[in-house]
Amino acid sequence: MSIAESIQSIGFLTEIRESSLVYPVIMTTHLACIAVFGGMILMTDLRLLGLAMTDRTVTSVVDQFRPWKRVGFVIMVTMGLLLATSEAEKYSGNPYFWAKMVCLALVGVHALIFRPRVYNNTATMDKAPSLPGVAKTAGALSLILWLSVLTMGRLIGYYEGPRNPQAYQTRQPAVQLTGLGRVSR
Amino acid sequence: MIFAYDPSTNPLNNNEWSFPLLECIHIAGFTLSIGTIAIVDFRLLGLSGGSKPAQLLKETAPWTLFGLIVMLLSGPLIFSSDPAMYLANQSFRFKIGAMVIAILYNYTIHRKIALANASPGVNKLVGLVSLALWVSVVAGGLFIAFV
Repeated sequence: MSIAESIQSIGFLTEIRESSLVYPVIMTTHLACIAVFGGMILMTDLRLLGLAMTDRTVTSVVDQFRPWKRVGFVIMVTMGLLLATSEAEKYSGNPYFWAKMVCLALVGVHALIFRPRVYNNTATMDKAPSLPGVAKTAGALSLILWLSVLTMGRLIGYYEGPRNPQAYQTRQPAVQLTGLGRVSR
Repeated sequence: MIFAYDPSTNPLNNNEWSFPLLECIHIAGFTLSIGTIAIVDFRLLGLSGGSKPAQLLKETAPWTLFGLIVMLLSGPLIFSSDPAMYLANQSFRFKIGAMVIAILYNYTIHRKIALANASPGVNKLVGLVSLALWVSVVAGGLFIAFV
């Protein structure tokens, strides 16, 4: 049994996969978190670019959103893990899933680079006569990375497996992963 | 069939990439609009600090509108790929109903209360209803693929 198979055969993950309701509910929670908490990421990025909330200091904007961005991130990752592990075989063979993971790893690299220089250094940003280049770079890269995460995440649902019909036939179709949002096609 | 229109002629159905990318634009649009509304909601609920709700509303309103426009341009295009299927889909109908209510609510009660110095109790109720409405819209949209 492959690693992916053994992961998704864990009791409750099998139940998630086979339930016609639990899987979409987890997915809805994942998407609702994007809608509710994603705006905080976008507004922080836009503030760092000097495009939004410019009446306020960078410190005030970063501080207001930071705790809730963390809460949202934890819920989103938890739901994402449940989705991915309950369909481990499908996700592990899906190049868009791995592209999304790479983008998320780059989000981590972004934090390592810019947290000390920007997010934990907002007092310096506020004292500067104009927004420093490093703040704009952090905002722009964060925007690009998160939009890439979103795009790769959506494309996961469109990958139809390797172009080898025999390899595909041996798989058990559980919850329809491909073609989400395109019901009748 | 009330549409004298053949979806198979729609470019969205004849190009592998346009439909998924349109969905990505739709998701980015509602993340911006719902996300900025949620920022005000969190403040109304007393869950975040920062500016007063009125100030926060003014700061986020242009972005909310921009997100709504992106959402309302990409949504109908997605719909045009298969109108008959969407119209027959219960979850789609629920979503459209919830969305109309959510937009009306946002620009009437929600806006009025956020701009007024309402009592914490009223603020909380209004913020909670707003979040519930928008989460319903998202849920309805996702369940289109599952009903």
